[in-house]
Amino acid sequence: MTLKARRTITAYLMLFPTLILLAVFTLYPIVESFVISFFRWDMISPHKQFVGLRNYVQIFQDPLFHRAVANTILFVALYVPIVMALGLGVALLLNAKIRLRGFFRTAIFLPYVTSIAATGIIWQWIFNDQFGLLNDLLRQIGIQGPDWLNTPQDTMICLVTLSVWQSLGYVSVLFLAGLQNISREYYEAARVDGAHGWNLFRHVTWPLLSPTTFFVLLISTIEAFKVFLPVYVLYGATDGPNDSGLTMLYYMFTEGFSDYRMGYASASAYILFVIILACTLLQMTLQRRVHYES
Amino acid sequence: MRKVLIYTALLVVTLFSVGPFIWMLSTSLKPASQVLTSTPSLWPHPIEWSNYAAAWTSAPFGRYFLNSLFISGVETLFDLTLGAMAAYAFARLEFAGKRTLFLALLATLMVPGELLLIPNYITVAKLHWMSTYQGIIVPWLVSVFTIFLMRQFFLSMPGELFEAAQMDGLNPVRTLFQIVMPLTKPVWITAGLIKFIGSWNSFLWVVVVSNSQNLDTVPVGLMNFTSDVGTEYNQLMAAATFCMVPLAIVFLIGQRYFIEGIARSGIR
Repeated sequence: MTLKARRTITAYLMLFPTLILLAVFTLYPIVESFVISFFRWDMISPHKQFVGLRNYVQIFQDPLFHRAVANTILFVALYVPIVMALGLGVALLLNAKIRLRGFFRTAIFLPYVTSIAATGIIWQWIFNDQFGLLNDLLRQIGIQGPDWLNTPQDTMICLVTLSVWQSLGYVSVLFLAGLQNISREYYEAARVDGAHGWNLFRHVTWPLLSPTTFFVLLISTIEAFKVFLPVYVLYGATDGPNDSGLTMLYYMFTEGFSDYRMGYASASAYILFVIILACTLLQMTLQRRVHYES
Repeated sequence: MRKVLIYTALLVVTLFSVGPFIWMLSTSLKPASQVLTSTPSLWPHPIEWSNYAAAWTSAPFGRYFLNSLFISGVETLFDLTLGAMAAYAFARLEFAGKRTLFLALLATLMVPGELLLIPNYITVAKLHWMSTYQGIIVPWLVSVFTIFLMRQFFLSMPGELFEAAQMDGLNPVRTLFQIVMPLTKPVWITAGLIKFIGSWNSFLWVVVVSNSQNLDTVPVGLMNFTSDVGTEYNQLMAAATFCMVPLAIVFLIGQRYFIEGIARSGIR
């Protein structure tokens, strides 16, 4: 046996368990869920009925799905700019010459590593209409707060607050790493040219940070399109008052695991996947263009 | 003056991040009469430690902790071992099909895990693994993230080290675990922490594949406890506290490794 053949065998022996597991639980499911999205199947009956594109057609005609899409887009449109602006702001603060940086970074990061099952309960309690912390604080400045969790108009405020609170540390840490990656020399050169304060940020930090900004934008957008757990924990395994918290993933979850319409749920999962893929490709193209220009 | 502004802003953000936890602790120590009041105070008086005992005994939390420890422990152990072997092969071995396989691995990162929920549920049902430990654990034994993290690390090590090991007649597996592992402890800690914390906190999959309370993990048990207890917020907050404290301690001890590992994933 040649040396090359032997090396290949060794390598595949080391990769074997990983490849098997990924094939069964990642690769196969991608194909499988595409296939069953053309069938009607309740998991109980042995027979799967082929329905062609009917699942997709039905989803697009379902007013509840329209609701889910609208809610999800609203969530993305609110969550992504807020978490990115705050995250960048916190990262800039942490990047200044300060003491206790480690302490602040860890404290702000804590919500990200805490189970949302626990933090969901805490925020339920904070949003409580009569005895909650938020309405108590509002009362002290003379405002009568609403019944946050039972008012459909306030659902997005609650969801965005919980999500921003949870991910702020994560986004800040990504931005902070990007900031620390910018060489000091650029700043020194710009200072020699007389730039400071806002000018320094506008002409040095912002353009040089753009790879990080695009990465964070991509990650946050994808995460936001998949929003599910904040709804699930904040509204006690329901989709909020009057379906105001119904998101695309929540729609899939209900169809799949309450109604056991596996083909239909898979079709809705694939629609979400295609949207996420389109966002990814769009942002990658944009990023390339920005880089060529600068 | 500028410094004062920076510290003030940071304190406000910290208060926003940590405030809910302080409120949780405060509520968890209050007697019932102090909880449901429209003029709440931060300081519990008298301090009611019994909320913790009451919460702990009203659901099998001991069992939940053992389940979580077992499930997250097994997943982390396999993820590190298998992930390191795969990463080593990609970083240090030449073999046919390497490029293609690596690109395929990269592509799986583009797929949202939620897409896999339904087909994996069907697979687990076909294997008759519903409501079993293997059904909960096996789909998550390897993570592509760990492979990438370790591969980066192994690539940055000097080539002479591997040549020397090869000259001594060590096969790749022994080289990995006897030579490379002791030299690359930080990346093992980072990958292990990220996997362990992620696994401990994930609960959607457990909710989906298990309907046995005996298999419930801490987050799932806590969710169920919430719907049982209703509005006794002091007990709820006590439960939330003891459910999050062990993991918060793990995070605080390893936070440098954890945060830097996360940060590195942003720099490509």
